[in-house]
Amino acid sequence: MSALGHYLEEEGIATVAISLIRPQTENTKPPRALWVPFELGRPFGPPSAAAFQRRVMLAALRLLERTDGPVLIEDFPEDDPRVRPDPGWRPPPLPMAGPTLADRLAEEIDALQGSHARWMARRGRTTIGLSGLDMPEIGRYVSAWLSGTAPASPREGYSAILALRFAVDDLKAYYLEAAACDGAPSSRQLGDWLWNDTAAGTAVIALRAFGLASDDDRLKAVLGNFMVPAVRVAMMGLSTG
Amino acid sequence: MTRLTDLPPAQAKRLAELECPAFDTRPFVSGPPLLRRRVGIVSSAGLVVRGESPLRGRDPDYRAIPAATRPAELLTSHISINFDRTGFQEDWNVVFPLDRLIELAAEGTIGSLAATHYSFMGATDPVEMEPHARELAGRLKQDSVDAVILSPV
Repeated sequence: MSALGHYLEEEGIATVAISLIRPQTENTKPPRALWVPFELGRPFGPPSAAAFQRRVMLAALRLLERTDGPVLIEDFPEDDPRVRPDPGWRPPPLPMAGPTLADRLAEEIDALQGSHARWMARRGRTTIGLSGLDMPEIGRYVSAWLSGTAPASPREGYSAILALRFAVDDLKAYYLEAAACDGAPSSRQLGDWLWNDTAAGTAVIALRAFGLASDDDRLKAVLGNFMVPAVRVAMMGLSTG
Repeated sequence: MTRLTDLPPAQAKRLAELECPAFDTRPFVSGPPLLRRRVGIVSSAGLVVRGESPLRGRDPDYRAIPAATRPAELLTSHISINFDRTGFQEDWNVVFPLDRLIELAAEGTIGSLAATHYSFMGATDPVEMEPHARELAGRLKQDSVDAVILSPV
């Protein structure tokens, strides 16, 4: 981000960057940056909090009127209140386990339809859509990978591995959106449920293990690095390869 | 609050020490007061309008996001899984604060809003992004944009 700011400024356009990693910003010395104490992925702070986001935006934009640069790094003083767990939140019920992981995954995907419909009614959007597959197809494609051999890509123009990465992104989005259909859960609450309690979490962890054990370097890299977040790998004590 | 100390040590070290090109210049472009600025968003979240080609791997180019885009149309194709996506899922303004800029323009705090906003893939080597960023500057100027807010994930 800081490099992009540098290039744009050299071309004559003023920039201000939101900084999520202060040491990185100190190192790269952008013209102007507002460091925010929020988790990665939330540069403007909590969702559904327009007044809070407005304060972040204004604090950043005001740096554009300062003349005492270059290299202005200011700190935003407020924490994201949505990191606190919602004590009233309950995850959606999951069906009784089927005999295989593929069965469980298919049953969960089906069972979460109602919760996801409630999410859609509440939020009016979904972030599912990268793979171009519907949810039952995504479940079957992920399960096909778990059978031990790489299946053909279900999507023209996408390699099998790219299709899998996008399918897994869509799978996670489906579960996380369905789980947030009520209440105001923190990202930690949602992540704990996905990775500890669902067949989807188990399946994605198994995909990562399958990739790490592969002799195919690309499979090893993609499944090893782009399936399970590093923080979950550490928390769950998973092999690092 | 999430800080580097909350992340696994290896990830925190990698993020803090992420290499960035060493620049010989320190550009610092000034401009008119905010109420006369035309503001655009440049994100590094790998954002893409639904139906367009996602950013893949470490693609160095960018995607355009017209100001008329609605929340239901915006996806993230960022390759990294090491950032929260639940905030963006609930409210796109967490990453792409278009509604906040629309409000600030309507009340006159900023002059106006860019006609088009943009997103790169933040995992890409900045050196490879450079020609695309310089080309993007030309597009922004054509739109009379004189202030850019850079939004990472």
